[in-house]
Amino acid sequence: MKIQFNMNKSLSLRIAVYVLSFCMLLFLLVLLVFFFFSRKQIEEMTLKNAEIITSKSAMDVERTILPIIRVAQNYKWILENKQQSSAELYEMTRQVVENNPDVIGSAIAFEPNFFEKEGLYFSPYSYRENDSIKSMQLGNASYDYFYMDWYQIPVATGKSGWSEPYHDTGGGNSLMTTYSVPFYKNVNNEKKIAGVITFDLSLNKFTDSVSSLKILETGYATVLSANGTFVTHPKKELIMNQTIFSYASEINNPELREIGRIIQKENSGYVSSTLNGVERMLYFKKLSSSNWSIAVVFPKSEMYLPLHKISIILIVLVCIGLLLLAVIVSKIISRQIIPLRHFAGSAREIAKGNFSNQLPLIKRNDELKDLHNSFEYMQRKLTQYIEDLKQTAIAKEKIESELRIAREIQMGMIPKIFPPFPNLIEIDLYATLHPAKEVGGDLYDFFMLDENHICFAIGDVSGKGVPASLFMAVTRTLLRSVAPDQMTTRGIVNSLNKSLSTNNDSNMFVTFFLGIIELNTGIMTYTNAGHNPPVLIHPNGEVKAFEMTKDIPVGVFETFEYEEKTLRLSDNDKLFLYTDGVTEAENKEEEFYSEKRLITMLSKNYSLTPKDLISVVSGDVALHVNENEQSDDITMLSIVYYGSKR
Amino acid sequence: MNISFETKSNFTVIHLTGRIDVTNSNDLETELIRLFEDDRYNLLINCAELNYISSSGLRVFLLAQKKVMAAQGDLIICSLQPMIREIFDISGLSTIFKICKSEEEALQKI
Repeated sequence: MKIQFNMNKSLSLRIAVYVLSFCMLLFLLVLLVFFFFSRKQIEEMTLKNAEIITSKSAMDVERTILPIIRVAQNYKWILENKQQSSAELYEMTRQVVENNPDVIGSAIAFEPNFFEKEGLYFSPYSYRENDSIKSMQLGNASYDYFYMDWYQIPVATGKSGWSEPYHDTGGGNSLMTTYSVPFYKNVNNEKKIAGVITFDLSLNKFTDSVSSLKILETGYATVLSANGTFVTHPKKELIMNQTIFSYASEINNPELREIGRIIQKENSGYVSSTLNGVERMLYFKKLSSSNWSIAVVFPKSEMYLPLHKISIILIVLVCIGLLLLAVIVSKIISRQIIPLRHFAGSAREIAKGNFSNQLPLIKRNDELKDLHNSFEYMQRKLTQYIEDLKQTAIAKEKIESELRIAREIQMGMIPKIFPPFPNLIEIDLYATLHPAKEVGGDLYDFFMLDENHICFAIGDVSGKGVPASLFMAVTRTLLRSVAPDQMTTRGIVNSLNKSLSTNNDSNMFVTFFLGIIELNTGIMTYTNAGHNPPVLIHPNGEVKAFEMTKDIPVGVFETFEYEEKTLRLSDNDKLFLYTDGVTEAENKEEEFYSEKRLITMLSKNYSLTPKDLISVVSGDVALHVNENEQSDDITMLSIVYYGSKR
Repeated sequence: MNISFETKSNFTVIHLTGRIDVTNSNDLETELIRLFEDDRYNLLINCAELNYISSSGLRVFLLAQKKVMAAQGDLIICSLQPMIREIFDISGLSTIFKICKSEEEALQKI
């Protein structure tokens, strides 16, 4: 039960794992594609956003500055073409401050002694202080404005422009910049420099708006003046104290210096660089009305932060989904293969021999139905086969039992009581017949013809099986019935031969040795019809096989005339008769026991009684055969003649 | 056991190889009967490669001898290995069969 359970589990699990692996791969691919395209999209979007923010800030600045520039141009035209009184000049400066909230102060500074009645210095100046506007004359010996940047540079270059940012030393700690415009007068048809108009602008509002710009998590905006001074920057210590170039050399970052150059040279663009160990993107734009630049800086990694968040959520969701999928898939498969489990059970039942075991019911017409049909077919066939086998076995059993009975009858015909003639002092006799597994055709027999004659025989029917055993039985029966009439070995064998040869279409024959011993004399007559010559063992240990005769086996030719020979046994002479089952006993190497070994064995044990002699030879044959199956009957007969006067 | 045939003059030469025992003596019998059905009663059995013959085999030889004699044909056995020859001698069957030492000798006798 457990094995089966595991099998099912592992099958569903395996399929679930396959499905899951495929889904995982698919998801990974989708995620990669999504990630790749999203990244691109986000990159573009972020940069666009940075551009818009920067442009908007730039536009805000321009909106503040442009009116001032227009006023400046206007004032320049007035000053160059109209004669103004000093009071009017004061008024002009006052008005511009009053009308433009971003303008903190304005001055119209004249060249030395340009206004003769006002002396060397003349620069009407109005400025905002708290909520009121005050006017004053700016120049004097201690504030020699001719040498100030805001005056000196426009005069020298003849161009309007914005000064570098500076801290207002007078009114509050606000960051300022000054827009200076030089103006001229025609003196003796000659255009001569007359002075410089200035507007002081507070940068506070501007820097506040830029500083408040936020891009992504830690992105920031910065404003650089024309020469690269930080006008605004999240790091307050940089503002007004460092230029991008001085900062670059301070932190030893040549890349930053290069960026500074690009910003100065180009109108707008992107650069990326590693700043403070983080890869950052930078977008900058130059203000059209000045050479100042606004730049936004943000870490590149932050661009992808939302993407990473989405990705993590997606992965978690998909993992949960895949887990659910795995559970559902394995559940579905488990359910689908329940019949398989039943089939396994059925198979086990069938193995136990229970062929009528109920198979699981399959309603669907699928592979399981096929399996069901195959199983059903197997059950049917097995039942039939087993039935056939039973019949065969019964038939075989019958034949075997008949064979056994035949064997028993055959063996029953052989005398097996030893000593057979306890009252005879002249001889002792012993014989054995070890039947082979298959019914064979060996025989031996002995009986008294009369009080003074003992008749003994040994024979071997050709072939094996029931025919041989039948032939043996016939031979033995004939022998007993013929012997009392004939009384000589020749007569007996001739008579036997005639009977057996007649109508012997199967050409079966029996090799046959027949002997008769006259007990009071020891004279033995014998006829050997093609049988292995017996061995004569003298009491002195001399062992000798009988000579071969020219007589053929019994049952071959009806008209054959057999010979009879005579031999006189001395006292204690012993005879040893055997069938070829002894000499042709084979071991596994197909080696025969052989006549030679038999003779040697008999020589060694010449003094033993017939019973012991046969027992010793039997043992030796068994030793030779070892584990090989006995293929033929093994028959031995031994007689000792003690003599008449014992 | 292996049986092969060849024809030399008017004799059918039968080459026997291996062992003839109770398990295959019937095969030999079948082959021989087939020859007799073809009226081939002049047989020379070459036993040079025959290693063992049991009494079942001898029975088939005897059967052949009887059929040949009845049909007034000729059966010669040649090239017997010593052990087979001994079996023939012990059983006295060497007196019934024409036995030659070699195939050449047998063919000369014909």
